[in-house]
Amino acid sequence: MIQGEAASPATEAGHSTANPELIRLERVSRLYKMGESEVRALDEVSLHIHNGDFVALMGPSGSGKSTLLNVIGLLDTPTSGAYFLDNQAVQGLSENSLAEVRQKKIGFIFQAYHLVPRMTAARNVELPLILAGLDPSERRVRLRAALDSVGLGARMSHRPDQLSGGERQRVAIARAMVMRPQVLLADEPTGNLDSRTGEEIVALLGRLNASGLTILLVTHDPRVASHAGRLLTMCDGRLMSDAPPAEGAP
Amino acid sequence: MRWEDVTGLALESLRLHRMRTGLTVLAVAIGATAVLLLTTLGDAAKGYVVNQFASVGTNLVMISPGRTETAGLGAAISGSTRNLTIDDCEAILRRSPSVKRVAPFSLGSAAITCGGRSRDVFVIGTTSSYQEIRSLGLAAGSFLPPGDPRRGERVAVIGFKLKRELFGSENALGKAIRIAEAQFRVIGLLEPKGQTMGMDFDDVAIIPVATALRIFNQSSLFRISVQARDAASIPLAVEEARGVLIDRHREEDFTVITQDAMLKSFRSIIDALTVALAAIAAISLAVAGIGIMNVMLVSVSERVPEIGLLKALGARPRQITALFLAEAVLLSGVGAIAGLGAGYILATIAARMFPALPLIPSVMWMGIVMALSISLGAIFGLIPARRAAGLAPADALRGRR
Repeated sequence: MIQGEAASPATEAGHSTANPELIRLERVSRLYKMGESEVRALDEVSLHIHNGDFVALMGPSGSGKSTLLNVIGLLDTPTSGAYFLDNQAVQGLSENSLAEVRQKKIGFIFQAYHLVPRMTAARNVELPLILAGLDPSERRVRLRAALDSVGLGARMSHRPDQLSGGERQRVAIARAMVMRPQVLLADEPTGNLDSRTGEEIVALLGRLNASGLTILLVTHDPRVASHAGRLLTMCDGRLMSDAPPAEGAP
Repeated sequence: MRWEDVTGLALESLRLHRMRTGLTVLAVAIGATAVLLLTTLGDAAKGYVVNQFASVGTNLVMISPGRTETAGLGAAISGSTRNLTIDDCEAILRRSPSVKRVAPFSLGSAAITCGGRSRDVFVIGTTSSYQEIRSLGLAAGSFLPPGDPRRGERVAVIGFKLKRELFGSENALGKAIRIAEAQFRVIGLLEPKGQTMGMDFDDVAIIPVATALRIFNQSSLFRISVQARDAASIPLAVEEARGVLIDRHREEDFTVITQDAMLKSFRSIIDALTVALAAIAAISLAVAGIGIMNVMLVSVSERVPEIGLLKALGARPRQITALFLAEAVLLSGVGAIAGLGAGYILATIAARMFPALPLIPSVMWMGIVMALSISLGAIFGLIPARRAAGLAPADALRGRR
């Protein structure tokens, strides 16, 4: 359950076996109304994720993986249950407070990259810094570091349509990392990539994890999941299993 | 978020759709141009009227025979209107300390002949004071001589155009002309002055008032022009002149109107017209505002995933509102600047073509157009911006609204 010892904050007394808890869900449910009927996208999910964990989340389509990711990322609010992020209860927070938590603690990457097409790679990565109101000199330093850390320093003035899929996802990772979040939420980041490029992206995520970043990764691909230290499987809105991933394909 | 960044991001987005942006800006520009041109025209009309009044002379009070307000029963009972006479003029000047000058004024129309040429013009009968009162300049010779206004000398001062028509380039001073079959000597030539308040001083002959009353067989003056000592003494001059005439006529059978009062009523009429014109032109600005709203709504629905992303990156609802509002305000602001520029150029061209009209766009109206356009952008941009800010992030990321 513990992934790497680097960069994690000082372990609390009495928790010698685990890093501090970062994410705690207690019987979280998310209901959608579809006309007359209700859909239980999340059904009383309880989950603990600690600082520095690398967690993969698998399950068939419609099993609630993305909903879980959205709830954890504060993009969606649970219908019931309690969610603590970094020991802070997040239910009932205002729109503005939620936005602030997302800004400071959470990074996102997506299957479709979600780069802004009219902006260069650098501008895309700069976007969170702009929203945070940092001044341009500070922005340049952080931007450069973020692009270098994903190996894209030379491509920073290219627009997304001039980049390959792997490069686009690297830009997206740089953008997610530029605000130095505590957790990276990755929604099928290799879904649009060929297997070799996908491997590179997962390797990059592994390196980020090794430097202390907590990662929650939704994937369909067992080989991608095998990089994680912990594998969750979901079905019909419920957590079915929680274990270290089997070596090779399950 | 820094305001430079808000502007920068808004510009980047607007630049992506040049056609759409251009057309929306054009619509605002046309509205701004329309408002500026129409208000400039209104102001120019007012300026024209004010100039006309100023060219008539300063601090003037006009007295005409008859009481326009009391036509009907009252007038019938009080009997016939008395004439305004040269004696009235002299009495006003003598007994009113606030009055600086008084000039009698009679008007007739006659054929003026000289050699074989003849021309029908207005003939003004007055005295030497009239020159100062109407600020008439002389090109040559002298104006009517001062002295007893009852003496009917046979002298005439003629307008610039009348001189040219009768004498061509020859010298006219001292020459004889015939006015209504009586012989006159030309003693002065007026400077070119043009039309002032419906009187063309270029095509006119001015003769002593007693002569004019005689040759036109008139018993009453057409008008008495009274000039007050200064602007402050105009009301006093009106009261004094009215008192003198009531004393002499035993009733108020005349009408006194001040230049100021006429000017004021003209001004308020033209101001009302200008505001009405501006309001009509502002309709085109409002239509442009609806255009902005339409473009922004399209932009928001095109960019739903981008809005979701901004939210995932920690954008506050206010920041998203600000970004879209900035686009709307930029559209209207740039449109207003372009429209004001175009309006200014058009007004300048029009001013060249119609030199009589003071077509100068006022800074006040430019400011109003600018403020109006920007608030229009803000108002019509607010609904789309709020819609963007209110999207649910998880749905927006998937392109669902």
